[in-house]
Amino acid sequence: MIEPLKVLIVEDEALLAMELESLIEEAGHSVVGWATSSGEAVDMVDSTDADIAFVDIHLADGATGVEVAEHFRRSKRSMVVFMTANPKRIPDHFAGAIGVIAKPYTMNGLTSALRYLQEGVRRPPPESVLPAGFTLSPAFQTVWIPTAA
Amino acid sequence: MDWKRTSEPADAWHMTDDLHAEHGKGDPFAAAIRATRMSMIITDPRRPDNPIVFANDAFLRLTGYERQEVLGKNCRFLQGPETDRMAVEQVREAIASRSDISIDLLNYRKDGSTFWNALYISPVSNDKGELQFFFASQLDVSDRKLSEHRMSADKERFEKAVRERTKELEAALEAQTTLLHEVDHRVKNNLQMISSLIIMQRRTIKDEGIRQSLTTMLERIEALSTVHRRLYQSKDVSRFDVSDFARDLISDLLTASGRSEITSKLDLDPIVVSAEKATPVALMVNELVTNALKHAFKEKPDGSIAGSIGIKMSQPDGHLNIEVTDDGVGMADSNGDASFGMRLIKSLGRQLHADIEWRDAGPGTRVVIRMPNVPQQEGNVL
Ligand SMILES: Nc1ncnc2c1ncn2[C@@H]1O[C@H](COP(=O)(O)OP(=O)(O)OP(=O)(O)O)[C@@H](O)[C@H]1O
Ligand SMILES: [Mg+2]
Repeated sequence: MIEPLKVLIVEDEALLAMELESLIEEAGHSVVGWATSSGEAVDMVDSTDADIAFVDIHLADGATGVEVAEHFRRSKRSMVVFMTANPKRIPDHFAGAIGVIAKPYTMNGLTSALRYLQEGVRRPPPESVLPAGFTLSPAFQTVWIPTAA
Repeated sequence: MDWKRTSEPADAWHMTDDLHAEHGKGDPFAAAIRATRMSMIITDPRRPDNPIVFANDAFLRLTGYERQEVLGKNCRFLQGPETDRMAVEQVREAIASRSDISIDLLNYRKDGSTFWNALYISPVSNDKGELQFFFASQLDVSDRKLSEHRMSADKERFEKAVRERTKELEAALEAQTTLLHEVDHRVKNNLQMISSLIIMQRRTIKDEGIRQSLTTMLERIEALSTVHRRLYQSKDVSRFDVSDFARDLISDLLTASGRSEITSKLDLDPIVVSAEKATPVALMVNELVTNALKHAFKEKPDGSIAGSIGIKMSQPDGHLNIEVTDDGVGMADSNGDASFGMRLIKSLGRQLHADIEWRDAGPGTRVVIRMPNVPQQEGNVL
């Protein structure tokens, strides 16, 4: 068994955050926090020991998800996966994030992405195939799928 | 009028003055020059400052001067403040180099009014090649200049209008694109919320039948979600790649079913349909694949459920062909009373003008769909 992930949810939509939390926990991982704005996210990442944060681009204080990712990268506290209905807003360099789960994801799409990320974070590179609806950043693509680069 | 070939003495033009006195008699050639409606002058470059030594009546009419006012003067009195210096310079150079020149000049009459002069100057030499005089004709082309000017003003106005309109349209397009992104964003978020609501509801339900219904409902909504995710991920929101969709769908449904013994066989040509067909095609394929997963495979004595589901898509002749096959139990035993799923497939089929056939694939079922589909052109909308 690979060690489960500690996840931070950065999402302003309560319903989606709730559902995401349930799915994450059903998959055997734990949720260490839920932030709705960039400020909350920054405070929370410093006070928790999250392995990975699911970050929406649109937050309560605007399109600040990319800034959150930049902060997480600098503080080296948590890895980031974007989760957005607007993947075109993500900069080409992905602000250091692993990749993006495009909304609307399917329940299975998310579960598969969680398994893939668990492998990637704990025992890189991941064994599973890249799930549909999950796009790796160019940087992680070269490391996790060396042949595709 | 070839002056170079005349063998007259150097001051042959004097004859024309003489002839003037006895109009109509003597040299008919000189008489013609006097009488023509074309303004003409002759200048003598051998005298200081190249003065006018002959001017016909047409020249005097055109410029408004008397003959004695112009004879002995250099032509520059025709120039004025608005005359193009560069053009004058060109004339000067042509005279200095004894070459002929044809040029439009803004000239001034005696009364100060202006006219556009299509000036033609050519040097005249004698047999020995010595320059004797310059012959110049003037044609009033003010009308042509005016219409040229109007045309270029019109053209400029028109181009300006086009530039402004283009800018407006570009701004409108950008506003529309922003709006489209915004709406798209909301549609996707809302689809995500609908799925989340169903999943959360399902968690609270103990009854297996109801749970199953909610799962079927979730599958249908997730098929729509996948359409939207794929549609707006592409550069062109007016085209939808059904083969990519099928790949996403089957991997999603298979892993979601948790039945790793069921494999998929895909034979998918890249096929694009217009956006309005995306949803019905996607829903139809979803119904067929979920039916195969749900009904085709029976548990074996050892408890395992094995089998294979195939999707084939091709577009050979202006028709999109979709085949969904399984190697399961077949439909011979099914009582044929179609429930919602079948009705949905058939209605979507009608919407798409599709022919749908369920065939016995021995073993299993082969569903063959054939619908008209115009091959979609490449294009970038977003
Ligand atoms: N691939 C298949 N293999 C075997 N039986 C099938 C297959 N597809 C459909 N059937 C039979 O046809 C019946 C009607 O299918 P239909 O999709 O209308 O209903 P359903 O799947 O039972 O319910 P739902 O309305 O939720 O789709 C099924 O109950 C099943 O018996
Ligand atoms: Mg069905």
